[in-house]
Amino acid sequence: MQHVANLADRRPQPEETAIEVAGLSHVYDGPDGGVPALQDITMSVGSGRFIVVVGPSGCGKTSLLMMLAGLRAQSRGTITCYGRPIPDPDPKRVGVIFQEASLFPWLTAVENVEFPLSLRGDPKDERRRRSEAMLELVGLQGFGARYPHELSGGMKQRVSIARGLIQDPPVLLMDEPFAALDEQTRMTMGHELLRIWNATRKTVVFITHSLTEAVYLADEVLVMSARPGRIIDRIPITLPRPRTYEMMATDVFGKLRDRIWQQIRQVP
Amino acid sequence: MTKTQIITARLALLALVLGLWQVLPSNNVINPLLLPPLGDVLSMLWTLLGQPRVHEAIATTALEVLVAFIIAVPVGATLGVIIAESPYLTAIFKPILFYVFSVPKSIFLPLFILVFGIGFPQKVAYAAFTTGFVVLMSAMAAVESVKADHILVARSYGATRGQILTRIYIPSMMPILLETIRIAMIFNFTGVMIAEMYASRTGIGHLIAGWGENFQMQQLFAGVILLAATAILFNEIIRSLEARCSTWRT
Repeated sequence: MQHVANLADRRPQPEETAIEVAGLSHVYDGPDGGVPALQDITMSVGSGRFIVVVGPSGCGKTSLLMMLAGLRAQSRGTITCYGRPIPDPDPKRVGVIFQEASLFPWLTAVENVEFPLSLRGDPKDERRRRSEAMLELVGLQGFGARYPHELSGGMKQRVSIARGLIQDPPVLLMDEPFAALDEQTRMTMGHELLRIWNATRKTVVFITHSLTEAVYLADEVLVMSARPGRIIDRIPITLPRPRTYEMMATDVFGKLRDRIWQQIRQVP
Repeated sequence: MTKTQIITARLALLALVLGLWQVLPSNNVINPLLLPPLGDVLSMLWTLLGQPRVHEAIATTALEVLVAFIIAVPVGATLGVIIAESPYLTAIFKPILFYVFSVPKSIFLPLFILVFGIGFPQKVAYAAFTTGFVVLMSAMAAVESVKADHILVARSYGATRGQILTRIYIPSMMPILLETIRIAMIFNFTGVMIAEMYASRTGIGHLIAGWGENFQMQQLFAGVILLAATAILFNEIIRSLEARCSTWRT
């Protein structure tokens, strides 16, 4: 696992700030005028931290993530990623993993993973080598030649994660990546993600609807209100790492999950 | 049924039809003046294929089909993509195109003769017109088949507009585009044939129309076999390309 060691060597310093969001608001143009979607979001994500955002459907979580990725412009406020604004997508700083794995069906797994490198025009040997290494990191060695329709839901999402990691961006944004998976696969994938995160020490912003998933994965959970989305609670998850499935049965875990649930339930 | 059985049944059916085509007219069950026996038709086809007049007609028709195709497919596809890519243009053109699409194009044939005469340009113009419409409509459907998710993924990895076109649009649209090319060729061939049969001085369609009018049934059926074989051959070539894309087609 040489490549993992290499990635780990480049771990960002913990005191560094990866993402800084200040006074961010967003209003959509609707047929009856503006629809407020996000309101006064302020957050700071330390480098190498695992932040989970939860909130009711339609609260603007995905919009927030799109803005962090430079895929959508906000109405007001600032976003900086490692000190610089991100007006356009910058795959060197931010990798995005979408809800549906969104693999290209006309490419094999390994071709999907190396897609970001092929956009940059990297030499074929080089990108094939890195792509294979990424597939190994996500536990899919030997599956590179398969097409997406020949992979299970969990495997597709692993390929998608490998694709997000291949340019080695310090930040990984994940928009409900495991929402379409069955419960068992979802638990396994959460555990796998923590393993990969531990090996690469990315800064992760992860959106989910699952409270269990939130508590299991996060260093800190941000709870958002219904539209217009505001951050109504910030819950540090003090459970030790590495996290284990047994922790889910503990009192602490239950109380943390309950606290999030209380916050979301209050939303009218 | 196994695959072999199905293929055997198909070949048997084909042999039966061809056999009846030979036997029934030879024994006067069907009037051989109306339907000449298959053997006579095939030997006539062989004779025709040796005649310079027929060579010239085949060359003319082939060139008309080819030129019309080369004009219609890129023009139709480009217009379709441009219209489908702009919500504004789609809102304006889509209903109009649907109305015009429903009109049988052959009613415009006299108009084409007035403008282009009855020579090569008229055949090409008419066939390209009928084909271009089909390609345009299909290209619009092909653009709609491109998934917004895939574009978003490409953008998030810093793809330029050109890269989104070549890396996302083209492969996403390829299955529909290949089918379009196949169907376009059917329309294109039909367009040229109708134009040649309606008013022309040369071409296979012109010969067939003449044989029909003069009750030369052997020649007529020989022409039909020739055209049918050509059309099927082209169709199958494109279909084999389509099959290669169908593994990932959803």
